[in-house]
Amino acid sequence: MNRIALKMLFGDKGKYLSLVVGLSFAVLLIAQQGAIFLGLVKRSTGPLQNTAQPDFWVVDPHTEYVGDIRPLAERDLARVRSVAGVAWAEPFFTSRGNVDLPNGSYKTAQIIGISRSTMIGQPPEILEGRLDDLRAPDAIMVEASALKRIGPLKIGDVLRLNDKRARVVGIVRAKLGFDSNAIFYTTIDNAIRFTPVGREAISFFFVKAKEGADRAAVAEGIKARTGLDALTQQQFTARTVRFILTQTGIGINFGITVALGFVVGLAVVGAVFYQFTLENLRHFAVLKAMGTRNRRLVGMVLLQALVVGCIGYGIGVGLAGAFSLTGRRPGAELSVLFPWQLMVVALFSMLACTGLGSLLSIRRVMRLEPAVVFK
Amino acid sequence: MTQVVTGDFVGRAGAGSPAVRVRGLTRVYGEGKAAVHALRGVDVDIPANSLSMLVGPSGCGKTTLVSIISGVLDATEGTCEVLGHEWTALSPNERTHIRGRLVGFIFQQFNLIPTLTVLENTSIPLLIQGVRPKEALARAAASLSKVGLGDRLNAMPSQFSGGMQQRVAIARALVAEPRLLICDEPTASLDSATGQAVMDLIRSAARPETNGQDRCVIVVTHDTRIFHYADTIYEMEDGRLKSHVSEHIMHEARHHPQPPESA
Repeated sequence: MNRIALKMLFGDKGKYLSLVVGLSFAVLLIAQQGAIFLGLVKRSTGPLQNTAQPDFWVVDPHTEYVGDIRPLAERDLARVRSVAGVAWAEPFFTSRGNVDLPNGSYKTAQIIGISRSTMIGQPPEILEGRLDDLRAPDAIMVEASALKRIGPLKIGDVLRLNDKRARVVGIVRAKLGFDSNAIFYTTIDNAIRFTPVGREAISFFFVKAKEGADRAAVAEGIKARTGLDALTQQQFTARTVRFILTQTGIGINFGITVALGFVVGLAVVGAVFYQFTLENLRHFAVLKAMGTRNRRLVGMVLLQALVVGCIGYGIGVGLAGAFSLTGRRPGAELSVLFPWQLMVVALFSMLACTGLGSLLSIRRVMRLEPAVVFK
Repeated sequence: MTQVVTGDFVGRAGAGSPAVRVRGLTRVYGEGKAAVHALRGVDVDIPANSLSMLVGPSGCGKTTLVSIISGVLDATEGTCEVLGHEWTALSPNERTHIRGRLVGFIFQQFNLIPTLTVLENTSIPLLIQGVRPKEALARAAASLSKVGLGDRLNAMPSQFSGGMQQRVAIARALVAEPRLLICDEPTASLDSATGQAVMDLIRSAARPETNGQDRCVIVVTHDTRIFHYADTIYEMEDGRLKSHVSEHIMHEARHHPQPPESA
């Protein structure tokens, strides 16, 4: 009987294709928009992923996300270093500046300043140049994806950064932030020269706990000593994501698009599948008259729904996956993250679409009087 | 020779038990002022090994009666016993199960599934009974051969004429060897010659010497050209069986050339 159900489905090519296209589109919309949303959320935590050395990011307690910076006092750095269990603590600076372009225009850039002595917070990957060269006055290293925006640069080129001379000593690769600005690495001394600040200049303290130290106790000690929060990378990431989801419209906007995808899928499946069932109602009645039980007929309807659902899911997820590959290239402008969990979400969305969409059909088949075969 | 039934319809089934025993059968559609009395207390015994025709004008209750006899419709009142099973005493699932095993259907519009081959269409009653697909297809092929379509097993219904489609429907109806065969206007969509050929097949299905088992065939029809195939004719009017069959029906049944006895 399953084979008969499938032949009934595949035999009506118009309806079959409508169902597959509708479901593919719905799954594509759900998966692709979900992938972009996750990509954006991940990109918002980009600065956190660039530095793996410290155990803690010490921040002002009111800091809501990684781009929300309240400068810290130099004296607090000394206090943090004095906390029991702290192996080292280093300053980290980040700020924005404008880089002048040859055509008279400018681009906003993220200036990252790292400790001149320890280089803690250094770029995760150096493509060209030597890290030591960053200690030179005016020296900067340019993140590679910025070259598309600010033009081709090579080692030795000179830029105007916040109207001050900056000399390129290297090209690096790092994760961009949410705003995708060009990233320039330099030392804290240089960074402060490029971006004059007030008395308190440090954005974060990077802290490493001693081997075997109780990390929770170290964090509590920093809090007690300075009033500052010591967050692990995971905690800071969670705080940043929470901010993106609750304090910006991004989550709602993408949520609406995903919901629309679900509604479109549901509407298409519901309408087309119901129409398909109506047109086959007489055949279902004949099967019922011949002795097919309701349970069996419902199974046939569900099988038909599941098959178009799975085919639509495969096509939709395949297209979304292909789309996500465009965002995987190094330096891609598009933020796309396509984890397996998203495929599971899309799968359950498809199942919900087909399940709900076939409910009307099932109800109709269940209530079908076999006596209609004589009409 | 066709027997045109007049007077009392009960106890005419012969010495054995009747295949169908109907008592006080009524069926009302709707309620209150909108109520339509399709059947108004029908009593009848229909014998096995016979081809019985149910005739009468449109709206007289023929289709309602065979719907109840075949177990696809509930009666409002009365009892309907088919091959020892009282439909009203059975749960819907039991009724569906027994219907699948005992009753075959032939419809005016054939009701073949257009996306299945004639072989697959014919195998459906067996698949419903849980017969393995391979065996079902083999038996379906044999059934199609009996109606002269053994060489067109993989054709689609749309490639067939009306008469050939009805032959497929007959093969489908008989493939599971039902003991009650319900035919609803089986020749209404066919020309005269094709109709006669189809009736030859249906008539042979009612003959124990050709099909090897007891079978009761009930044909609902308006088609006077086939009345002579009936062993018994019941005429209905206004939801009741008429006590005297109309003169023109008697004339058609008795004066039309008799069909060949074997098929």
